[in-house]
Amino acid sequence: MRFNTIIEPFRIKSVEPIRQTTPEERRDALKAAHNNVFLLHSRDVLIDLLTDSGTGAMSVYQWSGMMKGDESYAGARSFDAFEKSVRDITGFGHVIPTHQGRAAEHILFHALVAKGDIVPNNTHFDTTRANVEDVGGVPLDLPIAEGREAQSTNPFKGNMDIAALERTLEKYGDRVPLVMVTVTNNSEGGQPVSLTNIREVSAVCKRFGVPFFIDACRFAENAWLIKSREAQFGHRTPRSIAQEMFSLADGCTMSAKKDGMANIGGFLAMNNGSLAAKCRTRLVLTEGFPTYGGLAGYDLEAIAVGLNEALDEDYLRYRIRSIEYLGEKLLDAGVPIVTPTGGHAIYLDAKQMLPHIPQSEYPAWALSLVLYIEGGIRAAEIGSVMFGRKPDGTERAAPLELVRLAFPRRVYTQSHVDYVAEVVCHVNGIASRVRGVRIVEAPAVLRHFTARMTPAHGQLVMPAGFGLGAMT
Amino acid sequence: MSHRSWAEPWRIKVVEPLRMTTRAEREAAIARAGYNTFLLEADDVYIDLLTDSGTSAMSDRQWSGMMLGDEAYAGSRNFLSLQSTVRQYYGFKHVIPVHQGRGAEHILSRMLIKPGDHVPGNMYFTTTRAHQELAGATFHDVIIDEAHDPQSEHPFKGNVDIEKLARLVESVGADRIPYISIAATVNLAGGQPISLESMRAVREYTRSKGIRVIFDAARAVENAWFIQQKEHGQSRRTIASILMDMCDLADGMTMSAKKDSLVNIGGWLALRDDDLADEARNLVTLYEGLHTYGGLAGRDMEAIAIGIQESVQEDHIRSRIGQVIYLGEKLIDAGVPIVKPIGGHAVFLDAAAILPHIPREEFPAQALAAALYVESGVRSMERGAVTAGRDENGQNRFPSLELVRLTIPRRVYTQAHMDVVAESVIELCEMRDTISGLKFVYEPKHLRFFQAKFEPVRRSAALAPWNQKTSVLSTDSIRK
Repeated sequence: MRFNTIIEPFRIKSVEPIRQTTPEERRDALKAAHNNVFLLHSRDVLIDLLTDSGTGAMSVYQWSGMMKGDESYAGARSFDAFEKSVRDITGFGHVIPTHQGRAAEHILFHALVAKGDIVPNNTHFDTTRANVEDVGGVPLDLPIAEGREAQSTNPFKGNMDIAALERTLEKYGDRVPLVMVTVTNNSEGGQPVSLTNIREVSAVCKRFGVPFFIDACRFAENAWLIKSREAQFGHRTPRSIAQEMFSLADGCTMSAKKDGMANIGGFLAMNNGSLAAKCRTRLVLTEGFPTYGGLAGYDLEAIAVGLNEALDEDYLRYRIRSIEYLGEKLLDAGVPIVTPTGGHAIYLDAKQMLPHIPQSEYPAWALSLVLYIEGGIRAAEIGSVMFGRKPDGTERAAPLELVRLAFPRRVYTQSHVDYVAEVVCHVNGIASRVRGVRIVEAPAVLRHFTARMTPAHGQLVMPAGFGLGAMT
Repeated sequence: MSHRSWAEPWRIKVVEPLRMTTRAEREAAIARAGYNTFLLEADDVYIDLLTDSGTSAMSDRQWSGMMLGDEAYAGSRNFLSLQSTVRQYYGFKHVIPVHQGRGAEHILSRMLIKPGDHVPGNMYFTTTRAHQELAGATFHDVIIDEAHDPQSEHPFKGNVDIEKLARLVESVGADRIPYISIAATVNLAGGQPISLESMRAVREYTRSKGIRVIFDAARAVENAWFIQQKEHGQSRRTIASILMDMCDLADGMTMSAKKDSLVNIGGWLALRDDDLADEARNLVTLYEGLHTYGGLAGRDMEAIAIGIQESVQEDHIRSRIGQVIYLGEKLIDAGVPIVKPIGGHAVFLDAAAILPHIPREEFPAQALAAALYVESGVRSMERGAVTAGRDENGQNRFPSLELVRLTIPRRVYTQAHMDVVAESVIELCEMRDTISGLKFVYEPKHLRFFQAKFEPVRRSAALAPWNQKTSVLSTDSIRK
């Protein structure tokens, strides 16, 4: 059954005031932030859709878990609760907490990946890619072709290209230490991976004897999208679908800041005991002792509760429906977005919205700046600033130029969403007056976080009446 | 007039029940844990003195700060309050949050050390040295000799021996020394402070050689208290102003906020140099999190900011160290050999002196920690040869100090708890002959003390099944 009205399966227990600003204040703030929304102060942001990572509202049960945190350095009972939750859902025997997802990646790749190794993934996310490269590995994206067609309506655009995976393993088998699948596929529009596809990846990996790991950040949202889009699994619970997803893999990395419903935390889990021992040795160096992994006891409790809340059907129905609701509003107004809508965000298609801005002038980045100036909305570019720089220092345009409106879990109401739709439609209306940007200064790795940018043509938004013809 | 008593400057707002165990339960638990107190389940521990790191009780103000967490991924207002508080009390311009102290050490070592470099310091610390070695450096101890003598009453056993430092600089060259690492207080010397005078001498010498000073400030506030109490001309100054003086003598600092700052998680790296800070921000993004949260929830940064302000209050620090001294003096009065003077965060039992019948190869401190747990449910930590690990030739290092650390969490235990601990230790010392040494059955490569497993070298009454003698310290006698 599908509701037209979004009904949140909770009521509000605690609120956090947000601040209205004027366009002038926002222009000043953006200037001070070097035209990079990552460098804005959150107090200058009205609706913060930068990420759904760590930004969720915890439940009363999670907060009560916070008060039960056992802060013992070793062997805390909060770890036992955490370990049990993770095991119940993933089935993996070894559970290693980390302070967040990228630390789990760092440790796993340190243990498995050697210089020159190739790591296939449906699509690497930014920190995953950077961590593979950090240990000298080569990240290889193998999405299905439709994953890179923004307007395709394939229900599982997050799928991995099985034939390409087989070719890769045939050609480079001994140089592939593991295969990863990211659920949902964040960089390609939050698109789900079908259970059938995961089964196929698993079978191929078994045939070639290569370990298969799931980047599980949004495992619950992916499970729900399988339930609602993959007909033969419609009768199953999200939990049982999630359990099967994990049972097909040898391990997973997890940022609990997504479907762990927590503000901080992550983990690494696996079946292989000797690999786990190797990971724990690295863990104590960079993270913390194996029973806390760089988290407070109270965080372990909050995650233990949150993982189960993320699999609640009423919650998932509301979560996915609220994304779909915004998507429908934008499509009705003719705003180009990635379809079908995915699990945690709406992705604006900046290439289509701003066809007059070449990729070398970062159209998606420019769009993210205009959204902030016009409506105080903060959203992240997922395009050529994030992915355009190759490890050798050369610049190559990313396949997609997207702006991600990522929704924090349980934080914003329908009226917030209505406001966002209104702002995006307005920006779509002035799109022809928007101009590109260029990089002033940027670090070599993960440059989007701290890059300093400037308008490429003096102004970001040309005055009204200043048509395309005036641009040279 | 100064009172001998150090009534706590707070009252209790929330409590956490403790579980009593029987001796039989503890014997089984320590055997399961491979005679390594790190591997015990916390639920099987009565009084947990494993560490003072991240085990503090937060105040109601800190908990209210937790509710003010701004979990924005970038530019959280909690970051601004952390940044301004660190600037106010520690004086560094650039503040980069990290999930805990070793996160800062990891980034600092990656940034500054080149393979073949040498890093001097006032005694090693486990994670610090591990990161230095991983980055390709060799650690050199330049602490004064008194630090290695548990009975020396030198008031500042954390001081640097400038002669030792100068000899190192002459032999390897200043250009192969990216920085000197100065810890306050010095944990493995027994929580011993460094004097302002010694820090000034280090600054003066290193400035002439162009060597950076990096300050491990996890317990710098506690160190400031010792300076106020013992260093000439400092007694009328505030803790906060002494702390600032200490920081002024360094180019950067690593911080585990889980110590002085009274929180359960968090830390930071602080620097003065703009370029170095930019580099650190890029690295922190890769390993920890964006530079305005560094792998911490927003609420954690708020709790740290408030914790810093509480940590420099004179009443707080007086009762904090007063409690450690209370326990230490009880043990000294009973003739238990401990490291003197009593340090800032822990009382260190001199295991080599308590168990002269156990050779160093059988890890007397590890055995003493295991026996103390079995006897009383008190969890302590070995800080001796097991902690020191193996040298580059694979040989066990035998540091001059073979210690068991009774580390006191901040604001958690009462005077009555300390009385139980003292009685337990005293009683155990009376039956010292029954304690057997240990041997490895599992030894990890890095930081082995965390996860190593052992077994008794011979049948031991104090570790394995005990004869029917019931000590006055059995849990039955404590139980109401």
